[in-house]
Parts: sequence; C-alpha cells; structure tokens
Amino acid sequence: MTHPENPETAPDPATRVPPSGGPDVPDVPDAQGAHDAPRRTGSGFGRVLVLVYGIFAISATARASIQLLRDWHEAPVAYGLSALAAVVYIVATIALARGSATSRTVAWTAVTVELVGVLAVGAWSMLDPAAFPKPTVWSDFGIGYGFVPLVLPVVGLTWLWRTRPPQTSTTEPKDRA
Amino acid sequence: MVLPLVLLVVALCAALTGWAGWFVARDRAVVLKQLWGGAVIEGAIVLQMIVAGVLAATGSSASDPVKLWGYLITALFILPVAAVWAFAERSRWSSVVLAVAAITVAFLEWRLWQIWTA
Repeated sequence: MTHPENPETAPDPATRVPPSGGPDVPDVPDAQGAHDAPRRTGSGFGRVLVLVYGIFAISATARASIQLLRDWHEAPVAYGLSALAAVVYIVATIALARGSATSRTVAWTAVTVELVGVLAVGAWSMLDPAAFPKPTVWSDFGIGYGFVPLVLPVVGLTWLWRTRPPQTSTTEPKDRA
Repeated sequence: MVLPLVLLVVALCAALTGWAGWFVARDRAVVLKQLWGGAVIEGAIVLQMIVAGVLAATGSSASDPVKLWGYLITALFILPVAAVWAFAERSRWSSVVLAVAAITVAFLEWRLWQIWTA
C-alpha cells in the first residue's frame, strides 16, 4: 500500500539476512531465471499486499459477523454488502497468497469484483444515503478506512498484471513448444 | 485506567513501526529481536484483555462489549500472523509487512478506545 516503488520480487543476495530462524523460504529463482519464470503473487511486494488483504478479510469478517448476527434489522442492505465484501477479501487473500495458475485466475476475478463493488457501492451510498443508515467497508468509496478499499483493488490488479506469467500474456501470440 | 493502556500499546506500536521502517530504509529483512518487540505488544494487549474482563466483572463494562472484544481479539491476532508471514520473506518487504501490521494494531487500539469510552 505504501511502497509500490520497487515491485521487483527477487531479493538481492547481498542484503539477505542469514536464514537463522523462521520457516524455510521456498527456492527463489536465481537472478538468471527471475525474469523468465512467472513471479509469485505472494512474495516481495506481494507479501505486503497479501497482508493488507488479510487484514481487510479479518476485519470485514469480524464486522460482518456482528452486523449479520446481531444488528441485521438495522441496515439489511449495508450489512449484506459487508458480508459480500468479507467473502471477496477472503477469496482474494487466499488466491494472492497461493499464486498458482488457478489461484491467479481466482485472484483476477476476486479483485475485479472488489473494484466493481467499491465503485458501485461507493456511488450508490452517495446517491442514496437512505439505503445505508450504517456504513459498510465500501460505502463512500471506503472513506471510513482511509480510502484503502478504493486503492487496494487498483494496486491488486496492477500487481497481478506485473507478475503475470509470460505464457498468459494476451498482447503477444503464444509460442507453442 | 483505560487510556494509559491504550496509549502504551500505541506507543509500542509506533516504536516497532519506526524500527521496521528503519530496516526498510536500510534494505534489511525482519530480525528475531523485532519479533520480541512484537511479543511485548502482545503482552500489553493481553493486559488490556484482563483489565477489560475485570471491568466487565465489576459492572463497568463498555457500552458494546461484543465489539470491544472483537477488536481486542483481532488486535491480538494481527502481529503473530504477520510475524509468520514476514519471516517467510527474506527481503526488505518483510520489514514493510511488520510496519504495516504494527500500524494496523495502533489503528485498532484507537477504535478500541472509541468503543471503550463510548
């Protein structure tokens, strides 16, 4: 969210800390292969992105649970949309963290739904405030969360595009083996 | 009673954010010492839970205890999850992860204080 200046995922070996603790790091392609191999969506800058998605997944789920279980009658439309947002954030978090070919497709879908959702709900909540007596994550374009819900899907889509594997590139004809 | 505890956690989070931010600037990954710093924050959150429990038992609970505990439990889980996630990354991005997690906990504390004093 805050440091998109260098989304290159390959860590510089000179600055690596000796792996003295923590879970083992999956093999990172060396400098030669790093530019050819599809980059994983959950490492490098993607690790920060997945964390932010995870935080939104947790907080939206917690919020939606309370709203749906206890306060459903207060604002059914807003709370239903809160639950939808929670599901979208959960799916996007898991898909971005996994980063397999299937997960990548799921992530594209989830983040696109998220972008459409925040734009649609944001516009709807401004045009018809009566439908939203209580706020959702996405109402007023996510103003209650510092507009992070509005920025997040844009960053997510950009990241998915930048880490796309060469073989799924739509701008170039496929090179069949 | 409540405000000093919230301020304590926020101050600890600010310190951890600064520490992690310094590591980002120095292009370094998270080190174990920083996770001990996170553990201190976890201890302070547990202390908040104890205080919240005692206050509830003595009849002066918050106006919305469900939300209060929702925020307390969420705040408790953020740093451990982020620590595991950050430690799997051996680049400066792990320090960014830790900084973002600490900022999030500070934000949750601010909301917590709002609910507690509502």
